[in-house]
Amino acid sequence: MIKIERIDRSEAFRYLGYKGNSVPDDKINELADICEKELLSVIQPKLVYRVFHILENNGDSVRLTDCGFSLDGKDISEHLAGCEKAVLMACTLSAGTDRVIRKAEVTDMTKAFIMDAMASAATEQVCNAAEEEIFANVTGYFRTWRFSPGYGDFPIDVQRDFLEILNAPKQIGLCANESSLLTPRKSVTAVIGLSETEIPRKKRGCGSCRMKDTCAFRRRGDRCEF
Amino acid sequence: MNFNELLQNREFVFLDGGMGTMLQARGLKPGASPEAMSIEAPDVLVGVHLEYLKAGADIIYTNTFGANRYKLTECGYSVDEAISAAVKNVRKAIELSGKDALAALDIGPIGQLLEPTGSLTFDEAYDIFKEQIEAGVRAGVDLVVFETMSDLYELKAAVLAAKENSELPIICTMTFEENMRTFTGCSVPSMALTLEGLGVQAVGVNCSLGPDELYSVMEELSRWTTLPLIFKPNAGLPDPVTNKYNVSPEEFAESMVKTVPLGVKIFGGCCGTTPDYIRATVNKLSHKQYTKQSPKIPAAVCSSSDTVVIDQPRIIGERINPTGKKLFKAALLKGDIDYILGQAIEQIHAGADILDVNVGLPGVDEKQMMVTAVKAIQGVTDVPLQLDSTIPEVMEAALRYYNGKPIVNSVNGEEKSLSTVLPLVKKYGAAVVGLTLDENGIPKTADERFAIAERILNRALEYGIRREDVFIDCLTLTASAEQEGVMETVRALHRVKTELGLKTVLGVSNISFGLPNRELVNCNFLAMALSNGLDLPIINPNVASMTGAVRAYKLLTAIDKNSVEFISAYGGDNSAPKPAQSAVKASDMTLAYAIENGLKAEGARITEELLATVDSMEIVNEQLIPALDRAGEQFEKGKIFLPQLILSASVAQAAFEVIRRKMIESNSSPVCKGKVVLATVKGDIHDIGKNIVKVLLENYGFEVIDLGKDVEYEAVLNAAVEHKVKLVGLSALMTTTLKSMEETIALLRANNVDCKIVVGGAVLTPDYAEKIGADFYAKDAKETVDIAKKVYGE
Repeated sequence: MIKIERIDRSEAFRYLGYKGNSVPDDKINELADICEKELLSVIQPKLVYRVFHILENNGDSVRLTDCGFSLDGKDISEHLAGCEKAVLMACTLSAGTDRVIRKAEVTDMTKAFIMDAMASAATEQVCNAAEEEIFANVTGYFRTWRFSPGYGDFPIDVQRDFLEILNAPKQIGLCANESSLLTPRKSVTAVIGLSETEIPRKKRGCGSCRMKDTCAFRRRGDRCEF
Repeated sequence: MNFNELLQNREFVFLDGGMGTMLQARGLKPGASPEAMSIEAPDVLVGVHLEYLKAGADIIYTNTFGANRYKLTECGYSVDEAISAAVKNVRKAIELSGKDALAALDIGPIGQLLEPTGSLTFDEAYDIFKEQIEAGVRAGVDLVVFETMSDLYELKAAVLAAKENSELPIICTMTFEENMRTFTGCSVPSMALTLEGLGVQAVGVNCSLGPDELYSVMEELSRWTTLPLIFKPNAGLPDPVTNKYNVSPEEFAESMVKTVPLGVKIFGGCCGTTPDYIRATVNKLSHKQYTKQSPKIPAAVCSSSDTVVIDQPRIIGERINPTGKKLFKAALLKGDIDYILGQAIEQIHAGADILDVNVGLPGVDEKQMMVTAVKAIQGVTDVPLQLDSTIPEVMEAALRYYNGKPIVNSVNGEEKSLSTVLPLVKKYGAAVVGLTLDENGIPKTADERFAIAERILNRALEYGIRREDVFIDCLTLTASAEQEGVMETVRALHRVKTELGLKTVLGVSNISFGLPNRELVNCNFLAMALSNGLDLPIINPNVASMTGAVRAYKLLTAIDKNSVEFISAYGGDNSAPKPAQSAVKASDMTLAYAIENGLKAEGARITEELLATVDSMEIVNEQLIPALDRAGEQFEKGKIFLPQLILSASVAQAAFEVIRRKMIESNSSPVCKGKVVLATVKGDIHDIGKNIVKVLLENYGFEVIDLGKDVEYEAVLNAAVEHKVKLVGLSALMTTTLKSMEETIALLRANNVDCKIVVGGAVLTPDYAEKIGADFYAKDAKETVDIAKKVYGE
């Protein structure tokens, strides 16, 4: 069972646009206290994952055993290069989180805004805790970082198959809508590569991203998590 | 034998066990559609069904858990093909077994979440289920089972689809976590009250955990329903790596037997169970006897998460009602749902247990507004609702879209009212308020009102409505006009409560109409009524003395044990609203200072004071806007950050609200520099950004028509045309929904709507905005305001 006791505030403030040495004032910090308390009372982290053998990785696409679909794209192929296995994982803060944010949107927009960012930070923490839980069970491997549908050229419309193979709708109440957005909103799906031998550190960041010339985030001076 | 005969003739009824693992062991590829196997490998399915029949199953679920149009798209078969093949397989297996067994059309969750967390609407869900039910009827199933449900709202759509499109018996099982809730937060009592109300034949629990872990869920369920109970747990818990379940058939059967004293009638197995588990359970139960439970289900209403038992006075909040409220009327005419939600949340904080919802107003499509309001309120609150309308079509729509068991307000002693309202109450499983009046009006005496109450009760019972679900309103008349009538109301209430044993409800505020010091009169009348047996006072909970009178009554009558509730409301806690710490003395504070420092209450107070001497437009133009501009500049320079900007904006919003209220009250039209339609495009559910834009636009005096998130293309078009706006703002956060943005713009252009379009959102760029035909790209909320000013020629 994953539990989080505190929410990583500095991460949340980074999402809110605070950069460098700038820190929020007392008023915003006070609001953050309230938001954190409310969020922690409703967040129910849930995780589901499965380990697959990698059948074939031809550089454009990765096929897994016992999996009805392939992981397409050069970026995910490169991410899994040199790996014998892949973990597919999905985790969520659950529907209660969406609900408190919705409520805050009606009563206090500043609070809603801060709460939304804090919930995103909590999602990241839950992912980290999920990884710990997974690799307490799955031992003896070197592993890559988490690579999610929508990163680089890994198509986001894989979401539905991804969730289905993990039985995520039934196991943790996580679905995708027609636009491949995860519902509840504060959720993540990701692929982690496993190898018995050391994996060369996978490149991360815009420099190594295939979408760097056309990326909308980048042009706005922003970035995704790739 | 049909389902009801089966229930009557057998000590216990047995279902089958797990299907997925059985199919995988027989060649189902992971990730492939199990439903396709019914068509492609019918012999395998017949074989599995036959094994379960031999193990002792009386009811076989068809292999159609995911046979809905959404899930089947990938495998290429139609719903009809998948269902008819699956039913044929079950029939064949039954024939081969020579048993008198039944085929149950198995229907699982759709696989997409319903609004508000997901995007699927209630009506879309209904249509998806309807298609499955119709296929099942054609294929000749004996009953319908909805299983593994975690959203009560989805299940309600399913049950209505089955009831309205077939005569088949319906059984339902939901899936609970160890915290006794489903993933969507549905509680056991809410499930039981709602489903029994909707008229299903049996309820229970399946999947998620093993029989031991789910015992407490079954125990709770047995307290809340008189229906036969179904128990269909997993074979324990799966190992996270090997996926093997940890409970053996023998252990499983042992644990199942333990639930017999709870009144479980129907037994089966879910994930990880095989024919061996069913056989072991059948054997273990062969010498046991069904122990029917007849729990006394109290008078209670519920939302999908919370249940309010009417075993003590419960406050019904009356504020969601436009009668006599100018601001409320203005909000309804404008379609401002946030205003209604604000009223809902305020009343709950003040102490309301249930909220009355009335949105009837000339010039407003009441049915449409009622549905919108009910959906919106249940999306952000947990209290049960009392649906209040005099129009049957409005009432039916409200009942249909309500998630839980509501109160219908109201029916009266008139035959026409009884014969239209009571069937609706029965169909949707609601409670009902009966007004003691009829075609001759409100009787003068208590005895006559009592007689009407009795008549309403008897008719309700004839329709099959439970006695506990009839609440009687003996009607408050105004003391100033009919002073003698006050005690008649109180006496009638007392008789209804003691002689008929019914719960009573009463609107209180009317008593003091036309008198000075109304609060004093209301409070005393409320206390009198409570002492005479009032259960459900309908009051304004924001008036502290009224809510206080109810709390004090509960304290004095020892309902509030050890005064816990009373002390938590009034005692000791001095830490509550501490005054804003500020270097400036309250009397010296300016509006600009309040805005800059995010002091909302102060901002509203100062505005209130200023209005006494300063013209409202002057306040807006010379104080509010300049202060906002300064905050905007600071933001652009990176001196303050978005949370602070929004905080300042919300202080300004509070100030605006004060000005707007004054203007509406004095019948002058509020400040409006122009109207803007805002929407987060279809498919996109992230609307924080759009909401921030809305706050800022309103700050600068624009009227925003907020269409919300996941908005249909046509809805944007209609709003733009109807409100004759010059500017439409569209937001999209994800690359996948940029397409919807493009389509929405194309539709506006194709219809030659004379408006400019501004777009924004995380993944948008100026180039892309131009490419999809937008007039403007706004990088943030501040820039949207600048664009709006430009469009409206400032």
